[in-house]
Amino acid sequence: MDLPASFATPALYRPNISARPRVDRAEMLRYLGYGGQEIDLDLERRIVRCVEELELSIEPKGVRRTFCVDASGTDDDGMPCIQLVGSEIVLTGRDIYRHLKDAAFCTVLACTLGMDCERKLRTLASQQALDAALFDAACSSYIEASVEQMDRDVRTQAANVGLSANWRFSPGYGDCPLSAQPSILAALNASRLLGLTATTTNLLMPTKSVTAFIGLFDGPVHDANTRPTCNICRLRPSCAFRARGKTCYGEKTR
Amino acid sequence: MKYTLKTTDANGHPLTAPIDSARREGAAYAPRTIETLRCDDHLRAVLRGEKHLLFDGGMGTMLQAAGMKAGALPELLNFSDPDVITDIQRQYVEAGCDVITSNTFGANAHKLNGAASVEDVFASAVVCARAAGARYVAGDIGPIGALLRPLGTMSFDEAYLLFKEEVEAGVKAGVDLFIIETMTDLAETKAAVLAAKENSDLPIFATMTFEEDGRTFLGTSPEIAAITLDALGADVVGINCSQGPADLRPFAKRMLDVTDKPVLVQANAGLPHVDDEGNTVFDIAAPEYAHAVAEMIEDGVGVVGGCCGTTPDHMRLLKQLIEGHTPQLRHHDPSMYVTSAQSCVTLPVAGHRIAVIGERINPTGKKRLQQALRDGDLDYVVSQGISQQEQGADILDVNVGLPEIDEVKMIQAACEQLQGSTLLPLQIDSTDPTAVEAATRRYAGKPIINSVNGKRQIMDEILPIVAHYGTNVIGLALDEDGIAETAEKRFAIAERIVDECERYGIARDRILIDCLVMTASTNQAQVIEILRAVRMVKERLGVKCALGVSNVSFGLPARPLLGSTFLAAAFGAGLDAPIMNPGSARFMDAVRAYRVINAEDEGSVDYIGRYAEWTDPYRIAADPALALAPGTAAVPTAAADSPANEDPIARLVISGRKGEIAATTKELLKTIPAMQLINDHFIPALDEVGVLFDQGKFFLPQLMASAEAARVGFDTIKAAMPAGEIADKGKICVATVKGDIHDIGKNIVKMLLDNYGYTVFDLGRDVDPQAVLDAVRERDIKLVGLSALMTTTVTSMEETIRLLHAEVPGVKIIVGGAVLTPEYAKQIGADYYAKDAAESARIAEEVFGG
Repeated sequence: MDLPASFATPALYRPNISARPRVDRAEMLRYLGYGGQEIDLDLERRIVRCVEELELSIEPKGVRRTFCVDASGTDDDGMPCIQLVGSEIVLTGRDIYRHLKDAAFCTVLACTLGMDCERKLRTLASQQALDAALFDAACSSYIEASVEQMDRDVRTQAANVGLSANWRFSPGYGDCPLSAQPSILAALNASRLLGLTATTTNLLMPTKSVTAFIGLFDGPVHDANTRPTCNICRLRPSCAFRARGKTCYGEKTR
Repeated sequence: MKYTLKTTDANGHPLTAPIDSARREGAAYAPRTIETLRCDDHLRAVLRGEKHLLFDGGMGTMLQAAGMKAGALPELLNFSDPDVITDIQRQYVEAGCDVITSNTFGANAHKLNGAASVEDVFASAVVCARAAGARYVAGDIGPIGALLRPLGTMSFDEAYLLFKEEVEAGVKAGVDLFIIETMTDLAETKAAVLAAKENSDLPIFATMTFEEDGRTFLGTSPEIAAITLDALGADVVGINCSQGPADLRPFAKRMLDVTDKPVLVQANAGLPHVDDEGNTVFDIAAPEYAHAVAEMIEDGVGVVGGCCGTTPDHMRLLKQLIEGHTPQLRHHDPSMYVTSAQSCVTLPVAGHRIAVIGERINPTGKKRLQQALRDGDLDYVVSQGISQQEQGADILDVNVGLPEIDEVKMIQAACEQLQGSTLLPLQIDSTDPTAVEAATRRYAGKPIINSVNGKRQIMDEILPIVAHYGTNVIGLALDEDGIAETAEKRFAIAERIVDECERYGIARDRILIDCLVMTASTNQAQVIEILRAVRMVKERLGVKCALGVSNVSFGLPARPLLGSTFLAAAFGAGLDAPIMNPGSARFMDAVRAYRVINAEDEGSVDYIGRYAEWTDPYRIAADPALALAPGTAAVPTAAADSPANEDPIARLVISGRKGEIAATTKELLKTIPAMQLINDHFIPALDEVGVLFDQGKFFLPQLMASAEAARVGFDTIKAAMPAGEIADKGKICVATVKGDIHDIGKNIVKMLLDNYGYTVFDLGRDVDPQAVLDAVRERDIKLVGLSALMTTTVTSMEETIRLLHAEVPGVKIIVGGAVLTPEYAKQIGADYYAKDAAESARIAEEVFGG
């Protein structure tokens, strides 16, 4: 199946101020380990100020591009792997294979809160530990909300040409290695378009950045409801959320 | 005779201060000029702005159109498909392009990552370009693809070495010039320009890429880029990529306004879209593109070409534009420019503008800063920079000289951290030329060097550094005979400094003369001489003037009164850059008022904004009824609003109210000894907070708010006590391990331990195992906290533990981080596992015996 024309060009995500996502306060607090404690007026003010400043001053930026999926190849160890046709991206590991093997296409996306946000995080970290923790949690929620907007755009775009989409999967989930990051950034031209780079240990820089894969299917997705769960998470044994009977994505443990 | 500079040692490690090293070995500095470059007369005329030059257009987009995979390394095509490369380049030659860019944009060792050697890529790329019949081959140097410190993890020196390797490969392959392009980080661009300048004698073209908002991703504007790269020695500066030519025109104009160097613009052909036949095309066709470029040529742009999406068709029309055309004669009003990567201070030569140089980062007479420097506590140094920025400083002086610290290392670290958290340009202040060069070399901007004076030896040491890095410099009007008494003699020294600068090619718009303030209480007659000297220097030499103003009042009462009056008088005499404490409201009042008088604060907007609601302090003093408005002076007392049996410290710490705790602590110190206050009040309160956190009654921000409040209390106690009075509970160092950049958890642990009274040394993130060991040894540390967030970086945690246990067996190690479990921690050899920050405080109590 050929790539539909509407998916042929890389798409930029640059929401103007009215279209920007909002920080999900409940999620932000969850990242801070919130469990229903009473928040006094002083802390409340600090949280509000932090969220307002973030939403006002930081513009998320993203780019996405869609490739045909080739699941017929094998990696260096002879294990089946996913290749994205027309790019240098090769994805290894069982979890991403399962995620994309039946997909016709894969949308690869990258999104970042950018360097101004990084500078602010660094400055707060050296000067105001509490505000730094609040800002960090707010940024995590904000980048998540930004990626969610990009995700919704992909779904809409897919639905327009009769495709369905599964959930988004990022390097580092399950056994999908972080070493995929440089090839993702290169295929999306993300360094040029977003100022996004990877460290030698394949961590994204600026730190508040996400890359992800969404599988696109001809017809309904058989695992459309297979949300990411703790089962594929590396943090499962040590997870502080699970220790409190919760999850980082806001649902009860399963 | 060519001046060759050694920039690495025998092992290939970068020298800290190559210019200074060369001078020590007896080499005379020879400034780089257009005449010393290796190029033909035509190219030299281009560099003088007398002729146009046409670069080629897009390569990557042409290759993609030819079927190259997204994200593939185009450089490898030089080996596998040289004909494809040469064919595209030949089309550009046939379209009339003078310069063909070698297909080496990503040919640095970091990006190639072992796929090919840098030398081979350059060699094959130049063969391709020559085969296309290029008149000039430009060695293309693009970004490394990794972010530099302080925001990223790559050091300036690592970046320099990568670029040096490219430059040497380019020279060997026979390129005619270098084009450093698509840069977004000024520090990285500086590393590349220096690498080209220090390892070749070829012309350097350097361009940066600006987003729609007129800034690069790292916040650099076109002016800052043009000023800084011009100063460093780029022969042509400019803009490429990101947008179409009409969009880039205003940015190019802004560059033309601040530099005399030729300006190069290589715009995109707009944005890509896919046409009906499935081909990716760019939306600005050749005629429209050429029309916009023609306007830029009218503005004064001398060198043109194309970037993404441009084709030989685009270039063919540009060739017609420049054929037989001579570049516009350009002139810009000279100014002194001082830049950081994000801001620029402009002092026009023809006018009078005030720039406040903040003097607070200087350990002389500042105990707290001295201690911070001894402890390597750069966060405190940064806090001094941030507060001066908020108070209205325009430039920050950085002096970290203390006899017992390694100044060369410290000034680099301090400047690096300041660049991460403040926007202001820096003034690098040291008497050690090695320290001056070490900091200047790695500084992303055009700083001021403080200082030279009329002594022969000092000029010989410092001026080569000023010349090589294109900085500004302060010249003190003193010489071997000390400070001269009369204005005439000071002027004579200043003139000698200016003449000597000229020999190095340092123009007057880069010089500030400090006529040196004397104390009115001991040298009253000289004060007026200083002002006279300022006037003479300004009028006759045409340079700028700086003055450290606060000395004038030494030994007299009401120092701010005398100081600010002198400041106003000095402004009247022509002072441009007072070196002062911007935290002094009195001085800043004088600055803001003078900016109105000087017509610098247009429409008095800033002044009105600041002083519209101002209450005249003299009026208050004269009217006792206003002096103590009811309620305003009331100091909250400990017992004011709490039951008598409740510990006020516990209440304030547990509720995290840092606003009130200083006053309460002061009050209690009157009746309770300091140590008792800490041990019986603060520590139990913090312990209780720890329990509340464990029980889930507090969550993280509440734990931290309590720690913040306790910190204010401790600081109050410390300030009230003589040094050494408060027992040191123990020394701990914390670090996020090598390869990991997540430090929020480590910072929380640091904060908590700090507030329990431990001396905490924060080594930062991405910390090498050896650096942890060095700190442990140097500071005699007994407990180390290590943090790692990723499975992939736990291995470097393990390595650090192994090294510490082998080399310093008595030292205990706590580990923490998302992926760790107690079992995992044990497995990698840690002594303790802390599930959260509160736990780490309990472990510290255990290690240090409670």
